[in-house]
This record gives sequence, structure tokens and C-alpha cells, in this order.
Amino acid sequence: MLRVHSRLSSGNEGPSEDVSNRRMEAHKSLASREEEIKRGAVAFGAQVCGIADAAAFAEETPEGFRPHDLLPNARSLIVVGGAQPRAGDWISPAVDTMMTTSTADRINSVARKIAQEVESRYGYYALFVPPGTRKGNQPFLSLMLAAELAGLGSRSLAGTLLHPTYGFLYYAAVITTLPLAADSRLTEPVCPAPSCVDMWEREGTTPCLSICPAKSGGCLDGKIDNGRIAESFYDRDRCHTRVYTNWIPGFQKVLEEATNEEDREKRKMLLYGNFFTSTLWSLTFSAQSQGQCFECMRVCPVGKVTKK
Amino acid sequence: MTDSAIDFSDVALRIKETGRKAGAKVVGIAAADAFNHYVPQGHRPEDFLPGAKSVIVAGGDGPTAGAWHSPDHDVIENIGYDLRENVAVHVMADLIDHEYGYYAIQAPSREVSGHTPPMSMMLAAVLAGLGTRSLAANIILHPQYGMLYYAALITTMPLPPDHVLEKDVCPAPSCVKMWERFGTTPCLSACPASQGGCLEGKIENGKIVENFYDRERCHSRAQTYGAGSFQKMLLEIVNEEDAEKRKSLLYSDFFTRSIEALAYYKESIAQCFECIRVCPVGMKDRAKM
Repeated sequence: MLRVHSRLSSGNEGPSEDVSNRRMEAHKSLASREEEIKRGAVAFGAQVCGIADAAAFAEETPEGFRPHDLLPNARSLIVVGGAQPRAGDWISPAVDTMMTTSTADRINSVARKIAQEVESRYGYYALFVPPGTRKGNQPFLSLMLAAELAGLGSRSLAGTLLHPTYGFLYYAAVITTLPLAADSRLTEPVCPAPSCVDMWEREGTTPCLSICPAKSGGCLDGKIDNGRIAESFYDRDRCHTRVYTNWIPGFQKVLEEATNEEDREKRKMLLYGNFFTSTLWSLTFSAQSQGQCFECMRVCPVGKVTKK
Repeated sequence: MTDSAIDFSDVALRIKETGRKAGAKVVGIAAADAFNHYVPQGHRPEDFLPGAKSVIVAGGDGPTAGAWHSPDHDVIENIGYDLRENVAVHVMADLIDHEYGYYAIQAPSREVSGHTPPMSMMLAAVLAGLGTRSLAANIILHPQYGMLYYAALITTMPLPPDHVLEKDVCPAPSCVKMWERFGTTPCLSACPASQGGCLEGKIENGKIVENFYDRERCHSRAQTYGAGSFQKMLLEIVNEEDAEKRKSLLYSDFFTRSIEALAYYKESIAQCFECIRVCPVGMKDRAKM
């Protein structure tokens, strides 16, 4: 192997003098760094920012889906949340509004900027977690778990993570070798909200369970006991086909239909149809989390403040 | 405002600062007519903006050091770049247009015919003094940061241009030494044309004297997923007569990734970085703790 390659490896020869100096400098102000990063994240456009311990993933995810699988010596995850639909989006009478404008790109942009900042300001490796899927519906790393470990929210009956103040948010994460003090998981679950517990006691359902009940062809089911979620069912595959109507699967589906269609005129109609055209527009955001159904979140009382 | 009332040197500094604040790592200025010596009509700034006087070039980061360091090749293949240089170009264009009243447009760089862009961002970066061509696929290397991604704007504002770098960035001193000992360099040895790779070259007296880059071969490997692979699969799909086989092609991971890649087609996204991975220029910037 050529000598230049050995310089690229993480190696065992120890850090250079330059790296050691930077490391010492970096350790001096460790205590204030978390706040500095969180303030910076908010300035870049995040609604919330939390820090998770990279090692905490080991207890919850298999090998191959942990931070150190993507970045050797990963120590921390900086998780940012935001880019949720605005109050105006929620009250818009046109379904097309949120179907076409609600995506995670703004929060991904914030995380990319944080990764650059961590490297240039502190001199540690920082990796923006690719937001797309690696294979099938499998992400590189669970952003929901990252947000949960960073104390930004807890899982809900609606399948999504809910922040105590803002409710539904999009999340992005940066894995870094920078050692940071991690935030704690929330001690109190956000879901069910008190009004949902009341509703459960009265009607045996909640706003999200009643808007999309699995037993009536929807995606959700669950049970509340003593004000806590006791059972939870979420049909991910069914939800996926409805939430991501216009995404890559929609494109593939119409393309399959078009190639199977023997009638030239019908084929033309499929290819120039509004649905296929929508899938093409949607593809331009293919690495972003985007959806065409928000009904369980529309009725969720958590984060109501952001919907007014 | 008349030209005589403007101190263009000060304006140039302000524009550069604005570009850097908007996310560019480096900003340089080239004279629009400097392109005439290197490219044919149809590819010059004046062809896109009548009265073009200056070209302002912004260079931005690609992968972070962490992305270079990742052992998982899927990461650097899939990661989306912020490509803030494009944003910086628009912010600078707005400043010129709104505050100084000169025309300013983004320089068109997306390929419109084969692999040929309307305007070369590589040439723009060289003429703006931001870097020089390298043995590694002709990629422009900035002396401090190595490989950057470039975008540019064309304006009718007559700004003082920067100078082309006097000293070539490539070959780096360590590559010259390696050439003298082994007759190769890190990039040439990572992807030698003589062994099925894309690069070939020769150094004499510390300078590049011969340079070969197989662009077609490199393109098929560096951009495994993109419009090309999408078209290739689409042809295979429509030619396939068996409906079940067609279905498996349509829903395969390869075709799905090709579709995903289309979303980034306007950006320079690649699946092979090996010649730059071993390049010593900018390596200091890629070494972190």
C-alpha cells in the first residue's frame, strides 16, 4: 500500500501535534459547548435541539444501525427538530397545500450547517445522517430514536414522536466524535395528552385513533390504562402507502401500469396524468421526509400552540 | 448611481463578504472577457448576459470530514450536500441587482447536451484565482481546502478581477516526492487508466507535463446512480416483455436509488471519490479529532 494511504487511516500512531493541541483547546470549554451548539441550532432555524449519547443506541438497535457504524468513535448525536407545518398550513382549506409543501428539507439544511460548524469550530468529525432510506423503508439510523434519546419527545399512539410543546416535528441528526453531555429522555410521556385521556374515559378512543382506526381500514389502534398507553398498534405499511402517495412508490406504480398497458392512448393518459405528474414533482424532494396525509397529527392536541 | 460614483474595489470586498456570510467558503472574481481565450462562442459569459463584465465564483464545501471518515460507503454516496455556494451566488446577485442596479444572473452550469455544461464552473474557478486543475480528473483544487463545489454569477458590474493562481496547486510537494520515488501519485495510483481506471499523467520538474482523464469511464463509475442509470433501467423495463420480470426491475433497489438520485441531479453528486480521498491537498482540513 502506498504511504499516503496509511495517513488516511485512523491508525494507532496517535494524533498529530496539531490535532492534540486542538483537542486540548476543545476540552477547556466543554461545559459551555452544549449550550453554544443549541443556541446555534436555533439561530440556524431549528425549533428544538437536544443531545444524545451515541452509546445509548447499543441497547435499542442492532449492529449496523448504530452511530459508530456510520462514524468511528462516535460520541454524541446532535438532534434538531422543526420545519413542521405552520399554523396557516393547518388551517388551509386546500388539501394540496400540505400535500405539496410540507417536507423536512428546512431541518435537514440546519443539520448540515451544524455538521460544518462542529468541524470548523471544534475540530471534531461530524456527519450529517443521510435523511433518505438505505434500502426499502429502512433508514440509515432511526431519527425517532435519536430524538427520543435526546429528550425531545416521546412516541405516540399516532406512531410519530411528539415534542411536549410543539407536538409533531421533523427531525435531523448529526453524529460527531465531539464528547458532549447528553440530555435525558423525557421522564413523562407526552402522549396521551390529558384531553385524550378524558376522551378515552368517555368514548374509549382518542382523536388520532378515531380519525384513522385500524379496524375500519385505518392505521392506528391502542389502549390507555391509568392515563398511560398500555397497547399500541401502528400499521406502518398501510400508512406508508397513504402518506407517501406521490413519492417514489407512486411513480413506480404508475410506471408499472403504463408499461403493462397495451393501448397506446391509455398509456399516454397514464403518463401525462395528474397523478404521475405529481409523483415527478415529489421526486425532487426524494431525500426529504414528506407526506400527503397528516390527519392523525391534525387532530392531535399536543403542540396546539403551533396550530393557532 | 453612476459608475464613477462607485468604488468597485470596496464593492468587490462587500460582495465577497456577503457571499461568505451566505455560506460560501471562498469567493473570487474573474473578468468576463477572460473566458474568450479558452472557450468557444456559446459558452462565454457574454452569451448568457449581454454586457457581461464580471463573473463572481463561490466555492462551497462538499462532504464533511466526518463523511470522508465514515467506513460505510453508502453514506458518502447518499448524503445530500447543502451546496451553499448556489445560495451564496443568489444572495450576491440580489445585492448587485437590488442595491447597485446592475444585471446579475446565476451562471448556467447544468449539462444540457451530453456532459457539456453551458458554462464551465471549473474554468470560472480557475480564472477567479480559486484553484488550479489537478491530475485527479481535472478537479479544481483550492490551495487550502482541496476539492470544493463551485457556482458562479454573471454580472454587468465592472469589478476588479482576482488573478489566476501563480503557482499550480497540483502536484502537491508530497506528490512530487512520491512521483520521484515510485513514478506515480496518490490519485494516479488509486485509479490508473492502465489498469482499468480513469487517470494517467506525468510530472517533470515538479510540474504536470502530461495528463489523461477518461471522462466517459469516470462518469459511468462516479455517477452510478443518476439520470444515466435511470434511463438505462427504464429502457430495460420497457423492453422487458415478461410482466413479472418488469415488476421486479421496477421495484428493485437499483431503480429506486436511481430515482432518488434524480432529485439531486441539479447538484454534483457522485458515488466515487477515490482520487480525492487520497489527495493530500486539503487533507489537513479533513483531519479532525
